[in-house]
Amino acid sequence: MLYFTLASKAYSRNLQYRGAHMIHNIASAVFGFLYACIWIGLGADYTLGEYGTQGMVSYIAFTQAALWVSSFVTNGLGIPQSVRTGHISLDLMRPVHLFTHLMAREWGQIAYQFLYKSIPIYVVYYFAFSLTFPSQLSFLVYAGLSLAGAAYMSICINYLIGASALWTTESSWLYWGNHAMINLLAGFFIPVEWLPEWLQNIAWLSPYPYLLYVPTRFYLGLGSVSALWGTLFWCVLLTAVCLLVTGVLRRKVEVQGG
Amino acid sequence: MNHKAWISLYGLLIRTSIRSRMQYKFNFILASFLAALIQISEFLMVAIVLHKFGAIQGWSMYEIGYLFAVMILSKTLYRTLADEVHHLEKYLVTGDLDQLLTRPMPVLLALMPQNFRIMLGEVLQGGFLLIWSLGGMMAAGQTGWEAIPQSLYIIVTGSIILFSIGLATATLGFWTTRISELQNITEDAAGTAVRYPLTLYPKWMSTLLLTLLPVGFVNYVPSLYILRGELGPWVFAAAAAAAGISLALSLRFWKYGITKYQSAGS
Repeated sequence: MLYFTLASKAYSRNLQYRGAHMIHNIASAVFGFLYACIWIGLGADYTLGEYGTQGMVSYIAFTQAALWVSSFVTNGLGIPQSVRTGHISLDLMRPVHLFTHLMAREWGQIAYQFLYKSIPIYVVYYFAFSLTFPSQLSFLVYAGLSLAGAAYMSICINYLIGASALWTTESSWLYWGNHAMINLLAGFFIPVEWLPEWLQNIAWLSPYPYLLYVPTRFYLGLGSVSALWGTLFWCVLLTAVCLLVTGVLRRKVEVQGG
Repeated sequence: MNHKAWISLYGLLIRTSIRSRMQYKFNFILASFLAALIQISEFLMVAIVLHKFGAIQGWSMYEIGYLFAVMILSKTLYRTLADEVHHLEKYLVTGDLDQLLTRPMPVLLALMPQNFRIMLGEVLQGGFLLIWSLGGMMAAGQTGWEAIPQSLYIIVTGSIILFSIGLATATLGFWTTRISELQNITEDAAGTAVRYPLTLYPKWMSTLLLTLLPVGFVNYVPSLYILRGELGPWVFAAAAAAAGISLALSLRFWKYGITKYQSAGS
């Protein structure tokens, strides 16, 4: 119940800014539009593998909408800021585990972003590019499952980024570094199988392809169910690391402000 | 005060800003290095596509790299000299602009050097891309040495265009207070669009990028002549005209907008 309240508070706080977020959605939609135009341009001169031009446009449309669930989460889950203000010491004193506390809050945020960012952006693309909806319900279910896993992984990654703020004042660079990795390794713009082989190998050793590429493949009806094991594996591993780090972090509280 | 005095005052304010930045040397170096690394990942993303397919609408990897480089360097020049114009929202929301209004100098001149940024990371990345792409095209005989001064010229005119767009967008803040969402469209999205040939986009969009938001004149239009010998040498005059006209219009708009300023914050 407590966790639900935390999540719903984070959700309703965002509702206040719905208007501004809708304008921001236009900008976000423009970015996806640019990427889609590039693939349409490429599709005019080359065949785009198993996707085809329309398939790549759907690919971009889905990843651009999914970004708001699996990659644009709060920088370090807000930990860097609470380290700066000294609030972190209070957060650690609470009778709730820091990880689950921040995670509950972030789920509220993600739920909001899903409803007010992902869906409107997808709807715009649906009409702008005359997309077709997946033909089988199972495609959508798998895409939804892997996307939920992706959101969870993203929360864990950002928790770790946030935790680093206790050791360095430059943790925001890790946040941007994480974004650069998403650009390159998650299949944000280019499907992972089209990366050079050495980069593909690196990508598959990391959780990044599971953030965008795997859910998108499911959505397009090209995914294999076994990929969900990968999602599960990374969720478990990242959870373990997060819990371990929280243990270390408790002994290393350091506040930068007061 | 005459113009010379204004310029020396601007220089003094910038020197002060640099000195304050250099109090944190390690942070500065780390941040610059990481900025370069992160930004290069954006180009890598496109480079991988080009490596796989060869060209986008007939534009080679070097040519697209050149469009990227000119855009980055123009934007860097604008942001180095006038970063706070981009961050005007902060001043509007907190009411800090009040302080600047009381100074015995034009508000814009007081605002611009507030936070002089040495964007070493962007300079490194943009410079590297420019040298790599121009070097490649010169080696292949596609362009000659004259491309170097021409590129420097369009970087300067480009930065004036980007500054003007930034200033006009910021000015809208006098009515709306919040401008970051709008900046996302007029500065970020528009700047990203012209890293690729404009022929990729629907007609309405390429027209928009050459008129209302004339970012096309920053890199795309001059590149058609510099790299491909299309159009004619008049593109340099066109770039200068686009810069001059947009600067004049946005300054005028700023002067009008500032009369509508209402303080906020406490």
